[in-house]
Amino acid sequence: MRDRRWLYRLSGYLFALPYLILFCGFLLLPLAYGLGLSFFRWELLSPAPPAFIGLGNYREAVGSDYFRRALGATFRFVLMAVPLTVGLALLLAVGIQAIPRSRQSFYRAAYFLPTILTISVAGLLWRWFFNTEFGLFNAYLAPLGLRVPWLTDAAWAMRSVVLMTLWWTVGGPMVVLLAGLQQIPAHYYEAASLDGANTLHRFFHITLPLLRPALLFVLVMNLIGAFQVFGQTFIITRGGPEQSTRVLVQYIYETAFNNYRMGYAAAMSWLLFLLIAVFACVQFRLMRE
Amino acid sequence: MRVLRQLICGLLLCGLLPLAGCARSGSPRIRLRYWNGFTGPDGRTMLRLVQRFNRENPDVNVLMQRMDWATYYNKLFVAGIGRRAPEVFVLQSWAVERFARARFVRTIDDLTGGANGLNAQNIDPNIWDSVQVGGKHYGLPLDIWLLGMYTNRRLLREAGLVDAQGEPKPPQTRQEFLDAARRLTRDTNGDGTPDQWGFVFTNLDSNVYTVMRQFGGPFFTPDHSRCLLNDPRNVAALQFCCDLIRRYRVAPPPENFDAWIGFRQGKVGMAFEGIYMLDDLRKQHDLDYGGSPVPLLGAERAVWAGSHNLCLRADLKGPELEAAWRFLKFLSDNSLDWAAGGQVPARRDLRDTARFRAMPVQSAFARQIPYVSYMPRIPFFFEFQTEFDTAIEKALRGSATPQAALDTATANVNAVIARQRALLAAAGGAR
Repeated sequence: MRDRRWLYRLSGYLFALPYLILFCGFLLLPLAYGLGLSFFRWELLSPAPPAFIGLGNYREAVGSDYFRRALGATFRFVLMAVPLTVGLALLLAVGIQAIPRSRQSFYRAAYFLPTILTISVAGLLWRWFFNTEFGLFNAYLAPLGLRVPWLTDAAWAMRSVVLMTLWWTVGGPMVVLLAGLQQIPAHYYEAASLDGANTLHRFFHITLPLLRPALLFVLVMNLIGAFQVFGQTFIITRGGPEQSTRVLVQYIYETAFNNYRMGYAAAMSWLLFLLIAVFACVQFRLMRE
Repeated sequence: MRVLRQLICGLLLCGLLPLAGCARSGSPRIRLRYWNGFTGPDGRTMLRLVQRFNRENPDVNVLMQRMDWATYYNKLFVAGIGRRAPEVFVLQSWAVERFARARFVRTIDDLTGGANGLNAQNIDPNIWDSVQVGGKHYGLPLDIWLLGMYTNRRLLREAGLVDAQGEPKPPQTRQEFLDAARRLTRDTNGDGTPDQWGFVFTNLDSNVYTVMRQFGGPFFTPDHSRCLLNDPRNVAALQFCCDLIRRYRVAPPPENFDAWIGFRQGKVGMAFEGIYMLDDLRKQHDLDYGGSPVPLLGAERAVWAGSHNLCLRADLKGPELEAAWRFLKFLSDNSLDWAAGGQVPARRDLRDTARFRAMPVQSAFARQIPYVSYMPRIPFFFEFQTEFDTAIEKALRGSATPQAALDTATANVNAVIARQRALLAAAGGAR
């Protein structure tokens, strides 16, 4: 009997083992290696051997204008993209929930479809849409006398990237929220209606509170994804114009793989990691209350 | 069902037979991995050449792998660090010094002068010099990609820009260029803004670089110890580019990189682009285009250019080295086939053939070879390029004056140089 329990416990670890091996080999170890790297000055192109410089890389990052600008661009993206994506996903989910079941699947698929495109395809398409002179959007806007400098103006470029991101990513959170909505028992709404609650009341007092776990999940995942934004800006704007959309991950990528400054890039990656961790923790705490 | 299974087994066996034959026959084939960034139509041309080489040289098997230039060097470098670099690879001119200094690349001087050699005299001296680092040559220039002027011949004709025979006449001087650009910029639908442009900035980098070099300003001191980007001549060149947009109003504000689409759509009279865009235009059957040298806009002739150089891994030797060199020489000897896809061969003897002269755009662009200007060969090339691009973007978009933009860039590049120097000093101290 006792033997069996021991075996039972072991089987749990055995089930977890395949993932744990991958997790350690491809995540934990590189993470630790990166942390170690971040304390070294290691430039691949230089004849100088790697040298331990303590917090030197972190100091350089905090004092660097490029790093601060890239961080600023990242924050601008996060602040615009996350609320808009989650808000729009919620709106779409509620909307789709309201239409008859038989037609729901079409809309769900339609809104989810862009998500399955790779970023290179979606990015290239939108780059053409956004072209000021010859693009699709301005062709539609021309009769109204409008001419938007989508990607050519530093003030507009990030908004355009957010717009594209919205189209590209809103489907995922929407499906999650829709599933959450369908979990809410219909008799809650019936009871509320009998008590005289209108649509808004029902949304704020039944839908939102019961949707909280799904919302938290969507929010956290979206935030983490948004801090790591790279593909959109890399393909649509290459960080331009005038580096206004050069986000942190792109700057890290360029530092490591164009300029071969490995230690410095590792230090910046760890700063980004800490930033994301802090934000995710705060969110969990806020939503728990 | 059973019949189907037997059929499949049979087919599989048939497929394996030739392989078995290979394994039995004598010496093993030498395997050469060949990496490059020819992901466009140029890649198909290259693949055909590789296939032909493999057919004609049964003892060698070249495996070509293509990846996007944007990420190509990262992969090549990482492969090199991991000691898995390919035997043969392509380096663009600006990258040669970087990789040579990292002891990545083999010199080829003993091979060009060797038994199965190649007359280096057939490569223009300025091109042959571009692969030279410390007196040794580290690659075989395959082609020269030059910037040139593409013109829309229909629009030129409509604007009356024709010669005595009524043929479209592309501008050659600054005055002719400005005049042509003005006549080609038109508001065809009468909404108050032009919808047909005389000129567009396609690739800001290559376009502005060309104008700057024509104005004659230096980028660095000869030893690359100090950046001189804010030299008055460079400022004047950048000002001229800005004037095309805001003063003469013959070019739209710069798009990120898709202004070229406008040229293809027939809404642009003139554009400076690389020879490698030719293939793009060939597919555009409704566009009557022509190619000519970039007009003389400044004080001296100059045009942005570069080469694809065939390079060998530093540690190649024995039969592998012999096979790799045979492959390099094959590509060089057949670079006219490569040129047909939209390139200019680096070999003078091949350009002197009737076949090359019959390629109108290639031969027009090739007239600029004596005065081509390659990007500076500096180890911190990407950091320089980031600063250079940002400065010209700022100036062309009007968010900074040319002087202020170039001052900032110069200061930033000099900071990079200072960091590099500190690193070198640290290396010296460590020894």
